[in-house]
Amino acid sequence: MDWTQLNSAFTLFLSLLVEAVPFLLLGVLFSGLLQFFVDERKLVRLMPRNAFLGALAGSCMGFLFPVCECGNVPVARRLIMQGVPSSVAIGFLLAAPTINPIVFWATWTAFRDQPEMVFLRIGCSLIIATTIGWVFSAQKDLRPFLQPAVARAMPSKKGTRNGGQASQATSDTPALLQSGTYFLGQSEQRVDPMDFQAAAIAAAGKPTGYKLNLMLEGMVQEFRELGGVLVFGSAIAAMLQVFVPREAILALGQGPISSILAMMLLAAVVSICSTVDSFFALAFSSTFTTGSLLAFLVFGPMIDLKGIGLLLSIFKPRAVFYLIALAAQMTFLFAFVVNLYFS
Amino acid sequence: MARPARSLMPWLDVLAIAAWGFLLLKYWLTGKLYLLIHPNYTWLTVVTGIALLLLATWRAIGILKQPDNFVSQASSHLALLPRGWGSTLLLAMAILGLLITPRAFASQTAIQRGVADAPTLTRVKPQAFRGSANSEDKSIIDWVRTLTVYPEPDAYTGQKAKVQGFVIHPTNMPDQYLLISRFVITCCAADVYPVSLPVKLSQNRNTYKPDTWLEIEGQMITETLAGKRQLAIAASSIQPIPEPKNPYDY
Repeated sequence: MDWTQLNSAFTLFLSLLVEAVPFLLLGVLFSGLLQFFVDERKLVRLMPRNAFLGALAGSCMGFLFPVCECGNVPVARRLIMQGVPSSVAIGFLLAAPTINPIVFWATWTAFRDQPEMVFLRIGCSLIIATTIGWVFSAQKDLRPFLQPAVARAMPSKKGTRNGGQASQATSDTPALLQSGTYFLGQSEQRVDPMDFQAAAIAAAGKPTGYKLNLMLEGMVQEFRELGGVLVFGSAIAAMLQVFVPREAILALGQGPISSILAMMLLAAVVSICSTVDSFFALAFSSTFTTGSLLAFLVFGPMIDLKGIGLLLSIFKPRAVFYLIALAAQMTFLFAFVVNLYFS
Repeated sequence: MARPARSLMPWLDVLAIAAWGFLLLKYWLTGKLYLLIHPNYTWLTVVTGIALLLLATWRAIGILKQPDNFVSQASSHLALLPRGWGSTLLLAMAILGLLITPRAFASQTAIQRGVADAPTLTRVKPQAFRGSANSEDKSIIDWVRTLTVYPEPDAYTGQKAKVQGFVIHPTNMPDQYLLISRFVITCCAADVYPVSLPVKLSQNRNTYKPDTWLEIEGQMITETLAGKRQLAIAASSIQPIPEPKNPYDY
C-alpha cells in the first residue's frame, strides 16, 4: 500500500460520502416529516390487513417516499416503530430504493436503448420485495428480529392498530426532555401504548413551530446515528475498490451464472446509490450478460455493504442474514431466467 | 458520570453537522467537488451544505436556550454505535476531509480499472455524443465513442488529432508507445472509468512520466499493438500542460 493508493481510497471514500450525505439528509427529512406531519395511524389503517396485499402496498410506497437505500432505512425504521405490519415495512424497505420515480427516471435515461431493462428492474424488485415481505409476515411479532432499542420503541401488540404518532415525544411538557428519557436504552421500562396515544394527541394539538422543532431534533439524532454507520460502510467499500483488483471481481466470469454472481458481488461491494447505479451498470452493458446487469440493478439497492450497516441499526444480524439470503436467491433466479430465455 | 462531559455531547452533534456543512461548501467553493462527483449533482451538494449549516445553527440556538433538555437528549440513544460515536466519527471524517485534499485519480487507478483493455472498451452513451466537423476538436472520449460505433481503425487513418490527457505506461506495449488517458465520471468517483488512446512516440516513453498531463497533436494511424489492430496517434507535437481543474470527462 503506498500513498497514491491511500489517497485514491480516501478520495473514493469522500466521494461516496459526499454523494450519499444529501440522500441521507433527504431520508431523515422524509422520516421526520412522516413522523410529525403525516398521521401514521391513518397510514397504518390504510394498509391492507392481508399480508400479501400489505407487502405489495409497502413495496409501492416508495412512490410516496422517493429515497435511495441511504434514506429508506430511517423511514422503514420509523414505520416499524409506528407499528406498521412487518410485511408492509419489509416490502417498503426492500422496494423503496428502486420503486420510486427518481430511480425510474434515471434508469430510463441510462437504458434508453434497452427500455426492457427499466421494466424488468421495476418488475423484479417489486416481486422480490413483495415476496420477502410476505414471507416475513409469517413472523407475527417482529420484535425478536429487531435491535432492542427499536423493539422497545414499537407499540405493544394491542396498540399496533392504533400505533403512536410521536415516538419521541411521550408527553406534553417538556417534550424534548421526555424524548430523551424515552429512548434511554438502559432502563427496562416498557413504553405504554397509552403514552403514544397521549403524545399523538398532544403533538396533534400543538402549533406547527413546535412540531417543526421536534422534527428537526429527530433529524439531528438520526443523521448522527446513520451518518456514523455510513462512514463505516463507505470506508469498507472504498478500501475494497482500491485494494482488491477490479479484475479479480470481473474475471469471475462471462457465463450465464458466473456473470450474475460477479455483478451481484460488485453491486454489494460498490455500494452505489440506487438513484445513480443505472449509469454505473451501463458501463458494463456490453461486457456483461443482460441478466447480470439486471441482478446488479435489483440486488444492489436492496443489499450492499453500506446498507448492511444501516440494516443492522434496525434488525439483529440473524434477520439481516435472512433478508440477504432471500434477496440474493430470488435475484439470482430472475437474472438466470433472463439470461437463459430473454437474451 | 461527570456532568461537564455530558454537557459537551450536544455540542459534538452541532460540530459534526456544521463541519459537514462546511466541508461540502468548501469542496464546492474550491472546485474540488469536480474530483468527487458529476457536476449534475453540484446543486444537491450545495443545498445539503447550506441545510446542514442551518440545522447546526438551529441546534446550537436550542442548546443555548434550554441546555438542560439537550443534556438529557444527548444521553439517549437508539444505538448501534456506542454513545457519541456517530457524531465523533462524522466530525473526524469532516476534519480529515478539510485537512487532506482529494486528488484526481491517476495511472495506477486507470490500470487497476482495466485501461489496458481500452481498445475493446465499449461503454458508450450515445445521447452524449458531441458531433464535431474537425477531427482535431475531438476529445479522447469522443474518439473512443466514435470507434465504438464504427470500430474500423483504417477509417480514421490520416485524420488530425489534438487531445489532452494524462500519461499511462502500459506494460503490454513497446517502449515507444504510451497511453493518453482521461477518466469519465457518470456519478461519483466510485464509478469513474478510464478511456485512452495509444500514442506512438519518436523516442522512448520514459521522457514522459506516468501521470503527467500532455497535449498531443498528430495524425491517426493504424497499429498492431498487443495483438490487436487499433487506432493510434502518431505524435508530431507533445506539450506538457498543467492538470486541469476538472480532470474528468463526461
